[in-house]
Amino acid sequence: MEMLLDFWAAYSSTVVFAMVNSFIALSMYAVLSAGILSFTTIVFAAIGGFMAAQMIAGAGLPISVAIMGAGLAGLAASVLLAPLFLRLETHWMALASLALVLITRVVVLNAPALTGGVNGMLVPVRVGVMEMAIWLALVALVFYRLHHSWYGLATRAVREDPSVAATMGISTWRIQFIAFAISGAVGGIGGAGMAVTLQFISADTYFLGAAFTMIASTVLGGSFHWFGPIVGAFIFTALPTLMQSIVPSIQDVAKGVVLLVIMIYLPRGLVDPRARKLRKAARERQTLRDHHAPLEPSHDTILPGKTSKEAKA
Amino acid sequence: MQLFLEQLINGVSLGSLYALFGIGFGLVFATLGILNTAHGAYASWAAILGYYAVEWLQVPFPMAVVIGTVGGGLIAIIVDQVGFQPLRGRKGGMLGALITSIAFLIVLDSLAGTATGHQSWAFRPGHYPDGLIDFGPIRVPQMQVIIIAAMLIVGIGMHLLVQRTRIGAAMRAVGWNEEAASLGGVNARVVILITAFLAGATSGLAGVLGGAATANISYQLGEGLLLKGFAAVVVGGFNDVRGTIIAGVLLGVTEVFVSQYLSSTYRDGVTYVLLLGFLFLRPRGLFGSGSFIRA
Repeated sequence: MEMLLDFWAAYSSTVVFAMVNSFIALSMYAVLSAGILSFTTIVFAAIGGFMAAQMIAGAGLPISVAIMGAGLAGLAASVLLAPLFLRLETHWMALASLALVLITRVVVLNAPALTGGVNGMLVPVRVGVMEMAIWLALVALVFYRLHHSWYGLATRAVREDPSVAATMGISTWRIQFIAFAISGAVGGIGGAGMAVTLQFISADTYFLGAAFTMIASTVLGGSFHWFGPIVGAFIFTALPTLMQSIVPSIQDVAKGVVLLVIMIYLPRGLVDPRARKLRKAARERQTLRDHHAPLEPSHDTILPGKTSKEAKA
Repeated sequence: MQLFLEQLINGVSLGSLYALFGIGFGLVFATLGILNTAHGAYASWAAILGYYAVEWLQVPFPMAVVIGTVGGGLIAIIVDQVGFQPLRGRKGGMLGALITSIAFLIVLDSLAGTATGHQSWAFRPGHYPDGLIDFGPIRVPQMQVIIIAAMLIVGIGMHLLVQRTRIGAAMRAVGWNEEAASLGGVNARVVILITAFLAGATSGLAGVLGGAATANISYQLGEGLLLKGFAAVVVGGFNDVRGTIIAGVLLGVTEVFVSQYLSSTYRDGVTYVLLLGFLFLRPRGLFGSGSFIRA
């Protein structure tokens, strides 16, 4: 028990950061699952983050209200952006979203009234572990429900083959628009989460570093199931802490190598529903064979006029 | 007038760096379908190799440029074969290679940081062409002339290579459809290696020359080039060398003029607003045909 408490004291902040990163990863997953590679999550996170910081530091509102406000702000931004982005082809959409991340930084730096400009913003309060866990559980529940809904099925169809999906009467545009909206709301919440855990946010908080690490952890965890991004976020947040204690001098290199190895050997990520189904099917075949083997005719016995022993000889 | 001309040359040479860097980035994006975030790291490493060559091995500067360029190309081949090759043929789309490129970005950047001791180096005066050349009313640093010349030579060479030669045709074929190109008798593996090398080498060249001209050799050199080179590629259209060159030079000139005549705080802002404007108004770049193929 003592050990557990020590462990918790040392690593509880890592757990909170992992939970916050889970929102960002889920936001990236929301669009990825509809076949869109986009870094706009970071833009929504920036909007949500500064929104929450203003609500807490400026208006003195409680954290939960600020997180809600951030989610709504992210949602609003995504609903405005989505029609523009959905006009672009996939390759260009990825580039455009990256461009938007670059522009966000410039805007943040040049709007000191809203964001503190180059000085960034201090957030006077820190979120509790429980509160963050509840928010994550809520969002995860939404993703769980969506995964098993018609929308979830439609996103998988759109991702695998948009033209087939269109033939089945699924509007690609509508599915991807909804995906963007979800990504915006969750990204905004994640951005607010970053604000109330880091307690200091600036233009660099929501920049390429975050964009690259978060897309990496999303895909690392698995972008084919909602649980994957959460796993990925926890691993990628814990990894530097872990590496620090094993190989402190080359911890970044080790992080990159781990990412590389996982991507090469498990390109669909750690949580992969298809691999699980394949394993299950293989297991079923195995048990079927074990139970029915004596009943099934084998090649030896159907040779005419010979018993199996003779055939072998 | 004199200031204007000097700033114009400044802008053109800065833009030439962006263009030089962007050519390789666009080539890989168009031919191999990879959004290579590690492309900037090649430039950083080429500059570091060039610095080692000049300051430690005492080789002349042109030789250091060659070492940096070839080094950039070789690193690109290693990254491609280790990080991207295992993912080919798995139909992972852009995503898998993007993530492995991020892995290499983390590794290469952190190693570059260690190699330079997290400091910014510069070639010592006299170890690189740091003189000025007289052009009538204005005097231009030798490095700027070298950069502009290098960009023109590489740019025109690359455009001809891609558009007029058999290798270029093979590259375009692989970019369009690797499987079909293979059936048509193209050795896709060799084409991929050549593309990777060329991309790394142009990035490396931009890295060494940029590192010398801006007196900034560090792991951050690549990131700066990546952002602006990326902008040049998007504005110019990633599958067109001409577009990248023109866009790169335009961005460089805009950047210098905005900070000279408006305010340096808008320097990056104008670049990126231009970038986004182009994306939505001309999503296929300067020379893009504008025809969409929707699945």
